[in-house]
Amino acid sequence: MDEKKSLELMALLDGAEELGRREAVEAWLKSEPDAAALRDELTWVSQALRSHEPVAKVPETREFYWSQIQRRIQAEAAQAAPAKPTRRLSDWLSWLVPIAGVAAVTMLFTVHPWQPGSRTSGLNEASATTYTSETDGVTIHWID
Amino acid sequence: MPSSLNNDYPSSPDEALVGWAQKGDTEAFEELVHRHRDKIYARAMMMMRNEDEALDLSQEAWVKAWQRLHQFQGDSSFATWMTRIVINLCLDQIRRQKKMRAESIEQIEEEAGGVERQMPVEHVNPIEGLEKEELRKRIDEAMGKLTEAHRTVLVLHEFQGMEYKEIARKVGISIGTVMSRLFYARRRMASLLQGLKRERKT
Repeated sequence: MDEKKSLELMALLDGAEELGRREAVEAWLKSEPDAAALRDELTWVSQALRSHEPVAKVPETREFYWSQIQRRIQAEAAQAAPAKPTRRLSDWLSWLVPIAGVAAVTMLFTVHPWQPGSRTSGLNEASATTYTSETDGVTIHWID
Repeated sequence: MPSSLNNDYPSSPDEALVGWAQKGDTEAFEELVHRHRDKIYARAMMMMRNEDEALDLSQEAWVKAWQRLHQFQGDSSFATWMTRIVINLCLDQIRRQKKMRAESIEQIEEEAGGVERQMPVEHVNPIEGLEKEELRKRIDEAMGKLTEAHRTVLVLHEFQGMEYKEIARKVGISIGTVMSRLFYARRRMASLLQGLKRERKT
């Protein structure tokens, strides 16, 4: 049987006009009895399939089937959720820079308190006194 | 997840259920699942021919549907939209398993030379006078005897209503291959159904 014309015949039966030469196929159908039989065969197979699609039932109860779907929905939602609060580096930097600034100023004032009218370094003028009590076993260092 | 307590789910049409589900109503969505679960499972079963895979993929389809429900615009029926989702998942699964490649002598023969040309045309319609349920069973049995590549194209065209072009795009083959596979699948189905008729008679 002519393979090309067979495929063209099928295309025409399926409504794909652009894939089949209608006149050539019609002439073939008239001249070859097997071609007409092929047309009938392709037609009844297609009709049988379309109108008798096999059915199948879910082999689980309504409640169990749904509970599995619900669990999967919740699991996927939970997986997607932690991604949201993740901050970019720039977000962190926007907080970090002012905090670091405040911390630096605080440290400066703690280690070296600002004294109006005095520009000398406290370290140069520092003096220390040590008191030791033998009886109490204590030594105290006093730094000015 | 909210639900609308006053909604009468079982008697509501799909459109109403979809609308409620789109607002986050899980009970409305559960009703949709209940209504269409057999059809979605049957379509997956037809593609995969494996109960566990079909069950898993049908559930995955419902999960995807819930996540993409906001995309459903109502251009087609909800059932059609759902079958498209499950078909896509089945095709992905088949691709992953690389089952679309030549997998049997039968397919290799078909691609090498066209066995369909050697098959005699069935002059007698073997399904005439059959009960609907009996015919469904025979079609299912015959579909199970097709190779996956042929069955896929047949399901997409006959049950899913896809055109050659669309099938070619979805499966990743040429239109010529779609036609060749579809032609062979139909001819083989005719032959298998005729064979089943003979088997039942003896």
